[in-house]
This record gives sequence, C-alpha cells and structure tokens, in this order.
Amino acid sequence: MISTTRRWFLFSSLLFTALIFANRLSWAQQTLFVSAIPDQHPEKLNRLYGLLSSELSKKLDVPVRYIPVTNYPAAVSAFRTGNLDLVWFGGLTGVQARIQRPGAKVLAQRDIDPEFQSVFIANSASRIPVLQNQSELIHLKGKRFTFGSQSSTSGRLMPQHFLQQVGIKLSDFKGKRPGFSGSHDATLALVQSGSYEAGVLNKQVWEANIKKGKVDKSKVILIWETPPYPDYHWLVQPDLDERFGKRFTNKLQETLLGLSKNSTKQSKILSLFGANRFIKAYDYQYIDIERIGRQLGKIK
Amino acid sequence: MTKLLDLKGIYVHRGSEECLKDIHLSISSGEKVALLGQSGAGKTTLLAIANGTLQPNTGIVKWRGIKLSDLSASQRRKIATLWQDLRLVEELTVAQNINAGALGQHNLFWALGNLLGLIERQACLAYLEATGLEGKFLDVSVQDLSGGQRQRVAIARVLRQHAELLLADEPLSGLDPKLTTEVLQLLLGKKVIHSINIPETCLISLHRPDLLQHFNRVIGLKKGQIVLDCSTNNLAPYEIHALYEER
Amino acid sequence: MRQPNLAAPIITILPALALIPVISSVLAGAHNGGLNILYRFLSASIQPSLEPIVLQSAWRGIQITIATALLGWVISTLIGTILGLLSSNIFWQVFELSQWKGSLLRKLLAIPRSIHELIWGLLLLQLFGISQWVAIIAICIPYSCLVARVLSDQIDSLDHRALIALQQSGASPFSALITTLVPSMIPVINSYGGYQLECALRGATILGVFGLGGVGTELQLTLQSLEFREMWTSLWMLGVVMISFETFLNWYRQYPPLTNKYEKQLLVFIGAILTTIIISILWLKILDVNLVSTFKWHPSPLPTIVEMKEAFHELPLITLIGTTILLTILAAGFSIGLPPLGMMLWPTKTGAIIQSSIWSLLRLIPPPLSALLLLLCTNPNISVAALALGLQNLGVMGRLLKEGISHQSNNLYIAIHSSGSNNRLAWLYGHLSPYSSSYLAYAAYRTDVLLRETAVVGVVGGVGLGWQLQESISSFNWPQVIWITTAYSILTLIGESLSRKVRQYWIKSTTKDPQILFFQK
Repeated sequence: MISTTRRWFLFSSLLFTALIFANRLSWAQQTLFVSAIPDQHPEKLNRLYGLLSSELSKKLDVPVRYIPVTNYPAAVSAFRTGNLDLVWFGGLTGVQARIQRPGAKVLAQRDIDPEFQSVFIANSASRIPVLQNQSELIHLKGKRFTFGSQSSTSGRLMPQHFLQQVGIKLSDFKGKRPGFSGSHDATLALVQSGSYEAGVLNKQVWEANIKKGKVDKSKVILIWETPPYPDYHWLVQPDLDERFGKRFTNKLQETLLGLSKNSTKQSKILSLFGANRFIKAYDYQYIDIERIGRQLGKIK
Repeated sequence: MTKLLDLKGIYVHRGSEECLKDIHLSISSGEKVALLGQSGAGKTTLLAIANGTLQPNTGIVKWRGIKLSDLSASQRRKIATLWQDLRLVEELTVAQNINAGALGQHNLFWALGNLLGLIERQACLAYLEATGLEGKFLDVSVQDLSGGQRQRVAIARVLRQHAELLLADEPLSGLDPKLTTEVLQLLLGKKVIHSINIPETCLISLHRPDLLQHFNRVIGLKKGQIVLDCSTNNLAPYEIHALYEER
Repeated sequence: MRQPNLAAPIITILPALALIPVISSVLAGAHNGGLNILYRFLSASIQPSLEPIVLQSAWRGIQITIATALLGWVISTLIGTILGLLSSNIFWQVFELSQWKGSLLRKLLAIPRSIHELIWGLLLLQLFGISQWVAIIAICIPYSCLVARVLSDQIDSLDHRALIALQQSGASPFSALITTLVPSMIPVINSYGGYQLECALRGATILGVFGLGGVGTELQLTLQSLEFREMWTSLWMLGVVMISFETFLNWYRQYPPLTNKYEKQLLVFIGAILTTIIISILWLKILDVNLVSTFKWHPSPLPTIVEMKEAFHELPLITLIGTTILLTILAAGFSIGLPPLGMMLWPTKTGAIIQSSIWSLLRLIPPPLSALLLLLCTNPNISVAALALGLQNLGVMGRLLKEGISHQSNNLYIAIHSSGSNNRLAWLYGHLSPYSSSYLAYAAYRTDVLLRETAVVGVVGGVGLGWQLQESISSFNWPQVIWITTAYSILTLIGESLSRKVRQYWIKSTTKDPQILFFQK
C-alpha cells in the first residue's frame, strides 16, 4: 500500500513539472490576442475564429490567438487589463474601453459603420402606427417595450437617446421599465411573438432576417428608422509597436483594410462580421457616442 | 521511592456543589493504589484531576515536581488513563485503536499511516493477546465488538502507551469473574509478558473491597474528601463499611 | 413538542399556493405569438444539429465546463476542509487557544458564502481579466465556505471524549485531531462532496451563460441567435453529462465496499482529489484554455465616499430588495409545493416515472435560458422570472422527494393502502407524512439558496437586484456594484438565519445540516 501512495506522489509531481515546462515553452514568443463580439450570430465566429487568427498570423508573421468573449463588459475589462490586444467593439463598449485604457487606437470599421442605424419595430396587434418622425415615438409610451443587450449601442444606447430626445423616460413604458432581451435576434422574436409590443434592434440584423424569411410581416412591422450614427470598430492597445516592432499597428490596420471579398478565405471572415470590407476609422467619430453615454449614465 | 504524582489542596466545584474538598495526595513509584468510594463520591473527578483533563478550582497537581499544565507532550504520555467510558475511536479497527495509544511517541505522518492501517500491526498483536483477545480481531471495527472485548482493546491501548503511572476508572465493572482476575492481574503487572512494559504504579478506582489484597494501598473517598488512606495490610473491615454508609 | 403528524404533509403542499399568482399572471399575459418559436424549440430537440463544427464546439464547451467544475470542486473541497477545521470550536480548544477566533472565522466566512458564484464571477472578471481561473475561483469562494460551514457544524456536534483521551495520552494536537476526526468526517465529505460536485457543474454552466466559457456560453449564444437545433446539441450533451454524474454519484454513495470502510473511502478521497486536480488541469491545457499567462491583478481605483453616497441615492434599493424577496418567495413556494402535490395527484408508477423525467429536464436548463423561452409565450413580469428560477429548483426538490421517500420503509404505506383508502390518500399519509418534516427542513435551506440565485434571472423583465447588478457592471459603475453586492450579502445573511430557525423547528432533535442528514440516510 505504501508503494502505491509513493507511486502516486511521484506520478503527480512529474506531471506538475511537465505542466510548468509546457507553460514556459508556450510563452517564448509574443502573441497577439484578438477577440470580437459580433452582433449577429456570435456563436459562428466562436467556432470559426481559426479563420481570422490564421489570416492575421500569416499576414503579420506573429502568433495570433483568438480569445472567445461573449459578454461586453468582460471584453472591456479584458482590454483594460491588457488580456486582449485587438478587439472588435461596439460603439459604446469601444468608448468605454478607450476611457479605461487611455491611448488605445481606433483602427478600422465596416463600410456600414459610419452611418449605422437602428430600427424600431412593433407587433401588428399593438396598433402602433408607422411613425412619420421622431416626435411620434410618443406612441411607445405605456407599451411593453424591449431593448437588446444592456451594453449595445444600436440595441440600447442610441435608441434610448432618441427616445429621451422626445421626452420618453425608461419608466414611461408599461411595467415602469423596458425589457432587455439580450440580443437583436431575441428582440425580433419577442416582438414578433407579441410578448413585447415594440422593440428596437440594429438595422443590419433586421434586414438579414427579412432576407432569410424569418420576419412575418403580418405580425411585426418596421415603424421608424433612426438617424445614422457611427458604431462598431476595431480597437488596439497603445503599445503594440513597442511589443511587436515598428509600424506594427499600421501593418495591422493595413491588413484589416486589405481583407477583400475576392479571396474565399477573407470573404468568409468578412461575412462573419457582416461586412463588405473594412475602412479606416477615427477617434473623433465617436465623440457623440461618448457624450450620450455620459448623459445616460453608461459612462462615468 | 520517587514521588510521581502530587496533589495539594485540591478543590473542585460544579456550581454550588463541591465535588472534591481539600485533597492532599501523593503517589510514589511502585505503589498499587486502590481508590474506593460510593458512586458520586468523586472518584472520576479525582482521576480527571490527576491526569490533567480537569483543572481544579484551587490547588496544584504536580508530576515529578512539575505542574501538570506545564508538562510537555512526552512527559504527559507517562500518565496513562483507562477511562470508564473507554473513549475508543468507534470507526477505527482494533489495531488502529491500540496504535492510537502510541501517538505520543510518533509524529503526524505516523498518525496518518495508522489511519490508513499501514503501521505496526505485529506490535498491536502482542498487546491484544496480552489482554486475552485473539489476533483475528485486529481488523475488526471496534463498534462491532462486545462490551468486554472493547474494554480489553482499551486496556491494550493503555499498555501500548508505555506509561509510568496508570490511572484506571472502574476497569472491572461489567466483567465476568474470570476476566476480572485476569484484567486485574494484567493492570497490576502481576502477569509477566515479554516485550510489554506495564506501568509499575497505578491508581485504580473500583467497587470491590474483596479484591483489595492485590493492592498495597487504599484510598477512600467520601463526599469529595479523603477519609481513608492507609496500607492494605493495616486495613480494618469497619473502615471499608464506613465508606459505603449513608450519612 | 412534536407537531401533530397530519399537519406537516399538508404544509409541504401548501407552498404550491404560490402557483396561483404565478400561473394566473403568466396565463393572463399568455399569447400564442410565440407558439411557433416554442414549437421550433421543442421539435429541434429531436433533431439537434449534427454538423461537425457544431458538434465540435459543443463538445469543447462541455469539456471546459466539466474541467472547470471539477477543478473548482476539488479546490473548494480542500480549502473548505481546512477552513472547516479552523472554524470549529474544538480545533481551538485542542490547541488551548481562545475560541473566539474560531467563531469569528465562522462569522466572516458567512459573508463570501452569501454571494452567488455568478456575482463572484462577474466581479473577479473585472479584477483579473479573462482567464478560466476566474470561473474556477468564482466557484471556489462560496463553495469552500459552504463546505467549511457544513464541516465545522459536523465536527462540533461530534463526541469529543476520545479526542480528549488521546490528547491526554501525550498525542500531539494534530495527531489526536486527525485520528479522531478523519474517520468520522471522511464519509461526510465524501457524500457531501458528491452533492457539491453536481452544484459545481450547474454553477460552471451558469457562469458560461454569462460569458465565462464552456457549454453555458454555447447555450447562451445559440439561444440568442435562436438557433435551437444547435442549442439542443449542447443541451443534450449537458444532459448526458449531468445524468451520468447523478447516476454515478448515487451508485458511489451506496457502493457496498465503500459504505463502512472509511479507510477505503479515505484512499478514494485522496486519490480522487489528486487525479481530479491533475486531470482537469491537463484537460484544460489540452483544450488550449489559457490557465497561467493571463492571470494578473488589475484593480480599479477605489471609489470615494462622495461617489458612494451618490450611488446610494441613485439606486432604488428598497424596490430592488422588495422585488428580490418577492421573487424568492414566489419561486420557493411552487418549487417546494409542486413535487409533493404532483406525486399525490398522480401516485402511480407511470406517474412517478414521467414526473421524475420532467424533473431531470428541469434541472438541466439554466434559469436564464428558460426565462427567455417563457418570455416568448407570455408578457414580461416578475412571475416569469419566478417561474424560470423556480423550475430548476423544482427539479432539485422533486429528486430529493423521490429519493427521500424511496429510502424509507414501505410498511406504513402498505398498511394505509390495505385499509381501503385510495392511492392518493395512501401516498399522502403513507409516504409523504413520515418524510415531510425532513422535506420541509430541506425546503427552508433551499429557499436560502434560491434567494442567492435570484442573481441569475434578474435580467428577465428587469427584476430585482440581479438585473441592477448587470446594468451597473455594464456601466462600470463600481460604487453601485458595491452597494448591490452588499445588499445581496445582507439579505442572504438574514435569509440564512431565518431559514436556520425554520429548519430547527422542523428537525428539533438535531442542529445538523439537512443536506447531511439527507445523505447520511
């Protein structure tokens, strides 16, 4: 019996040593940590992230590791703590991340992002009419209304801003509060089912669902499109050049901007993000988002 | 003769009740002391004071001139106690319980090894057989034994301790006549067994005046006080009767 | 004073009255708009996606969840055992130290225990960034405190005379402690540990739902995108794992060669601990989950007093606490009352089998997911959240009832049945009645757990402290987060002492944890 115990200890200590070594080795080279929370079908990116990291790795000649993150505040924190180097953020989360990590650079956005839009939708049974202008959002008062995710720019922040502009507070909805469905797809499903009388989601998801035939126009109608605002963007850590070599940040930007639909692989990556191509993005585009974020208490 | 245990001016009370009053008692090496008294006279309390598990309200207990509370573990181990309630570890086997008597001579790893049943079974066998139990009981859990068998396991554990003084609290109650003599012979060291070191000195509480001839000193307790302390040779029968009289 | 025997079984069923407000408000808001989605959800169950990439990713997820749960479980068992010893009175007594340190430690441990592992997860995520350790530690903190409490209660309720005897014989305090405590504690740790393992698995899944990786993440993402067939791939895998765990632990608890031999149990225990640690670390390593490199300390600056004051005034704490309590009561009510009611109304063999499979299914689905599914068919309100929270606990209570009744003798039932009463009454008086006070004692404990768990369903319909916590975290409003966590903690501590009182009322003869009583049978 004694020898069994002894063998156990020997075995386990060997394994521990092996583990420690394994870790040392994997740490020899600087790795670029990438993450993204796309708005549409994030589970697909979580499964196909190999495409993105291998493409970046090939173009940049550094090891790239994709870290799956599914929760917005977690991604912001991970960016602040330096766990992530390159992240696909929404408008609000990108601003939150930049405030918590001063010096972070906005690299790129999709062709649709500078003029992004949300759509307000309503269940046909709710008898909410198609709105002629923003001030008619008043019709939503006293209705069961749902946003998407709490940190979403297109599913919450900007719509709440447009509602507030015409004097609708969150407590004006039925039950004294709006719902938070958690995602754009869920918002659509909940409004179409009638659980909520109205809701708001990003226009891209709405259109994609129409294309796929998932929208039953007899049950759910578009009532208003918001004015455009800038949304998603790639954000990088300020110190990449020091860690990976001169001009690395620029090279990274060029790589992203260079992704094109002509290559099958790159085209797959672009479609995971719902983009035709990526274009340059700038800090100043997001000044309004920051102001609104502060106004609505999402940024301290 | 070295003075081993020395009790001076011991008082113990629980609430308003006085359990022990002004006890002065010393026991020297080689003495075989019988402790007599009615139930409730304070015998168990006196033994608990003597082994240090109970602190007197006033008074001092010394072992070889050192206060009990200042004893190191290795000195404490020289005092062995056979408890009336035996205090075996129910879930353990006979061998492990006997070995538990030797914990004071060994370190933590030894204790761990004993828990796994890895240690010194052969040694246990000698102690077990000394008490008249067969070796087949070694691996039996003590909760599966009869009362008499358990008592003998407890005795084996006490012997395993290699102490100098044995304190025993009514070790003979519940034993049949044959076993009574055997156990008493064993505790008093009158049965010689090779390789087993039986304490030379003992203080044993009992209810059987008829067994006094095996001892060389008698102490009588009545209502918490020592009313009798003399050699068994000088003992008069009326003195024993007086101990058990109500008044 | 015993309760009259008839009162208790009726009381076990009474909480089901909570169903009336819950069901009536759910039905009042019910509509058929979501039926086709619900139909899609249900029909997807028999045709889960078998695409290689979906299978692969679900398989990876389930492995991460299992390894996380195992590691969290094994570490919390170890730490909990040590803390349990340290917070028992006897430990300080043996070392001749003043006992206030033990009771102080016991009181301090109540605080981390009062906070749900999800909240720990969300908070630690902010402090340490992304790492699988966050999930593991989040499980460890409350679980080790829980193990510690159960053990210290247990240790202090033991007979300590043998311990005193050994110490008197010169044994060192440690040797005396392990010789007397290990044999009696190992069976407890073994059976309680099994139960904790199941909880850890559910906990790891929930953490995943909130983005900490594993099958929970997979479930959440697929559900949000309404990809039900892909969701069922993960759900079935989780189901198989859960059920095999439950079956294995049940078998293990009753495995004859182990029931009496504590030595073998000790070896199994040490072996299980070592293997689990090594296997789960290697497993995560093989899965390429980063365990070491990403673990760094990144505190945020502490909020000032002014900010704290401001946050206090911003938060509608009274309302939040009120809805949290209401949510707990509603959910506790029907999850306690429904299993006995259901079994009474349908006591046949078929009935029992069907009901217990429904319970298994309910235990499987994390509350945030069932909440979203429920929302598709009814209007949002607090009852939806209560229903979602209660359903999983209904599954837990149901299993407890079934196992508790199966452990007791059948004689009373047969006697009552043969005297001519019908099946239902015979079940009520013959089966439920003798078991009802243990069931109620356990129910009180479960209510306590439910209060903590309200953190996970807050999101639905924006109810209670849980929702506000999410909102404050997503705004990175730390002062608010601190207030909410404190409110949760105080609320749970009060709830805990209340439920302790209730438990003592139902099991007067003992102060032991009903959890333990249940498994010791």
